[in-house]
Amino acid sequence: MKVILPLAIVFICGFYMLITFFIPAKFAQDSSQLLQLWYQGVAAFFVFIGIFNLIKINVDRIQRRLKDWEYSIILLSFLGVMLVAGFVGGRDSRVFLYLFENFQVPLGATMFSLLAFFVASASFRAFRAKTPEATLLLIAAVIVMLGRIPIGYLIWDKFPDLIEWIMRIPNTAAKRGILFGIDLGLLSMALRVLLGIERSYMGGGVEK
Amino acid sequence: MNIFERLSQLDRRIIFLLVAIAVIVPMIVPLNLPVDITKPVKNVYDKIESLPEGSVVLVSTDYDPGSEAELYPATEAFIEHCFRRNLKIYMMGLWPAGSELGNIALNKIAKYYNKKYGEDFINVGYRPGGAVMLLSLGRNFSDVIKVDYQGIPVDSLPLGRRVKSARDLSMVMTFSAGDPGIIHWIIYFHARYGVPVCGATTAIMAPQQYPYLSSGQLVGLLGGLKGAAEYETLVERRGRGLRGMDSQSIVHLLLVGFIGLGNVILLYQRRKK
Amino acid sequence: MLFISLIILSSIDFKAFDTPNDDGTSITLMWQSDENFQLFEIYRSETADGFFEKIGEVEGVECTYRDVNLKPGSSYYYKILGKKEGITVSSQVEGPVKAIVQYFNLSRLPMAVCIIILFSAIIYYITRAKKRGKLFIRKIPALNAIEEAIGRATEMGKPVLYVPGIMDIDDPQTIASMSILSRVAEKTAEYGTPLYVPTSRSMAMTMAQQVVKESATRVGRPDWYNPDNIRYITDDQFAYVSAVDGIMVREKPATNLYLGTFYAESLILAETGHSTGAVQIAGTAMPDQLPFFVAACDYTLLGEELYAASAYLSQEPVQLGSLKGQDFGKLIFITVIVIGVLSQLFKWQFFINLFNVE
Repeated sequence: MKVILPLAIVFICGFYMLITFFIPAKFAQDSSQLLQLWYQGVAAFFVFIGIFNLIKINVDRIQRRLKDWEYSIILLSFLGVMLVAGFVGGRDSRVFLYLFENFQVPLGATMFSLLAFFVASASFRAFRAKTPEATLLLIAAVIVMLGRIPIGYLIWDKFPDLIEWIMRIPNTAAKRGILFGIDLGLLSMALRVLLGIERSYMGGGVEK
Repeated sequence: MNIFERLSQLDRRIIFLLVAIAVIVPMIVPLNLPVDITKPVKNVYDKIESLPEGSVVLVSTDYDPGSEAELYPATEAFIEHCFRRNLKIYMMGLWPAGSELGNIALNKIAKYYNKKYGEDFINVGYRPGGAVMLLSLGRNFSDVIKVDYQGIPVDSLPLGRRVKSARDLSMVMTFSAGDPGIIHWIIYFHARYGVPVCGATTAIMAPQQYPYLSSGQLVGLLGGLKGAAEYETLVERRGRGLRGMDSQSIVHLLLVGFIGLGNVILLYQRRKK
Repeated sequence: MLFISLIILSSIDFKAFDTPNDDGTSITLMWQSDENFQLFEIYRSETADGFFEKIGEVEGVECTYRDVNLKPGSSYYYKILGKKEGITVSSQVEGPVKAIVQYFNLSRLPMAVCIIILFSAIIYYITRAKKRGKLFIRKIPALNAIEEAIGRATEMGKPVLYVPGIMDIDDPQTIASMSILSRVAEKTAEYGTPLYVPTSRSMAMTMAQQVVKESATRVGRPDWYNPDNIRYITDDQFAYVSAVDGIMVREKPATNLYLGTFYAESLILAETGHSTGAVQIAGTAMPDQLPFFVAACDYTLLGEELYAASAYLSQEPVQLGSLKGQDFGKLIFITVIVIGVLSQLFKWQFFINLFNVE
């Protein structure tokens, strides 16, 4: 029963959603929307499970003085401060906005901007013309990089047009090819999941 | 150990340092490089220019602080263009933090142009639910939106009363950093209701949007900081987009240099073998 | 102010019809006119000679309007007024038009046919595989490397880090990732190697805990399972990345597996992992992130390989059969694309129209 019930829910809901995609009538659309709303309702409750897990692990770490336990204090303090600021004054209170604009925004931007550094180190290490295909890729990359900046335009005013062409034609064609493969793979996996052939995602693999 | 062998084991911290210099120096000493205008950006600009005064543009800020550096300058430039053309802005966000960022830009520019909240612009804040929410929103705004971000009933605001369904919008502009974002606006507002959709995305996401541009499902696109810089040039505003372009130019050149150097090392290693 | 209003009947070619393939709540209006009107006003009535209520107006360049939120099964009458510089031109009254509920979206028929063919092909190959047993599937180096990489971590006495992407369990890539996690957990439990799974969604965490626990039980090592190793970090994209980077730098896992949906964080994770000297295997169906993973990881599952991974790792004929069915699907796609190109070249309108999907 423990295995059959979830599989039955997956089978019935999955195929029902698939069928309603082809039925425009209101009952079909409303019921499929209702199923999606249920999912959102369930998902909302899981937020508490996540926060509970976060607090439990970090409190435990502080209590047992595990390695780097000091970081857990910082994490829990900020979690508390943001929660209080949000609950007391609301999302538009001065304190909440101050914390958002002066902590969350710059911290997020800092992590994102690490990309610039990592792109540089990765391109130095890995972007090498080892095969003819890699050489082609490399030439395209250099053209796109130069064409995307004002200096590229100053060097040759046709650079931007050239990259527009690269993006529109070869890039789109290759991407569509990859996407076809991905979508077929997705369909095949969806069918395995719906039919209960693939069930390892819910923990139930094959007995060994 | 000769120079090539040394370079092949280059400490990545040196690379990081060079990138940091390439970013910071042009910020201190601006080069003011001219920016060329690409077609997808011009399309967004032309679309706004073509709208009659008083038309409603839905602006959705679907990003978070992580992509703020790339998308916020475009948000400001776009809002400025709308207000200058006396268009109405109906703002919302599919990402929680996006609506806060959008609000900062909206209030800043609205103050400059003396625009009145509720009449010329409105912000209904973060709307969770992604695709499911958009589906109901397009059909009937009041099913989803009852109050604005401050808790004021939208029906008590003239602009809130005016927008009842997707049909009342002249255009959707999404500042999108991922999921939910640009693709959902195309599916639920363009494909279903024929509302023209324009977008601004991070540079990394821009190539993914080209199929929609060629099919016309997306009218125009601002890709990354370059897109923002181009838009700033078009609306004659020197913001963070244009200022960032100098740094981006030098960093791109540096990257091309690194790639070149990496390949010289490869050649040397092959010869040696 | 006075202005002359001219009423010229029927100079606007106007028609109204039930919107095809909808839920019976809308009627579509279309019109054509030689005049350059500034705007059109749309009027509706429930009887031919009753009061026509104005329901909307559109700019002069428009030539269609969809009247929505109607009562299914009811009939309506419509007329439109074209306006320019004090001149008003009315169309004839169209109706009665009945808003009819549709029970099958005909515009999606080609899609339904494609799905039926694909599903049939997959089921056919699954049944065939059941009878015949072993099937040949090309080697996927990244998947063969997973076991080796876990072995390496075991030898070095270091943990394995598994990142299941940053999306929730409603994303198919996360589901695919959980299936792979189940195999990875079996191996790590067998070898007694610690497995860290930081997640960015609480539902994904719950699912991952269940998957790992059951895998450990299956290989007879329930004692190995530690729920604290599978933990929720945060939904915030870059805060999550910084936490995972922190785990890499502090714990120095010998093997990093990134399998699932990734966005801009892909390179940040992979480069940090590279700097700690870990063997890295990645897999995603996000085309934009593939180049980053290819550049910074040792092995990468490209797009569809992520979805095929679980079937490949299980080596069960039934699952492998579905991959064969998928290949058949590819053959159909290629054929349709070739015919599509020819249709465009030779204007075979019938074939082109089949793909006008709403």
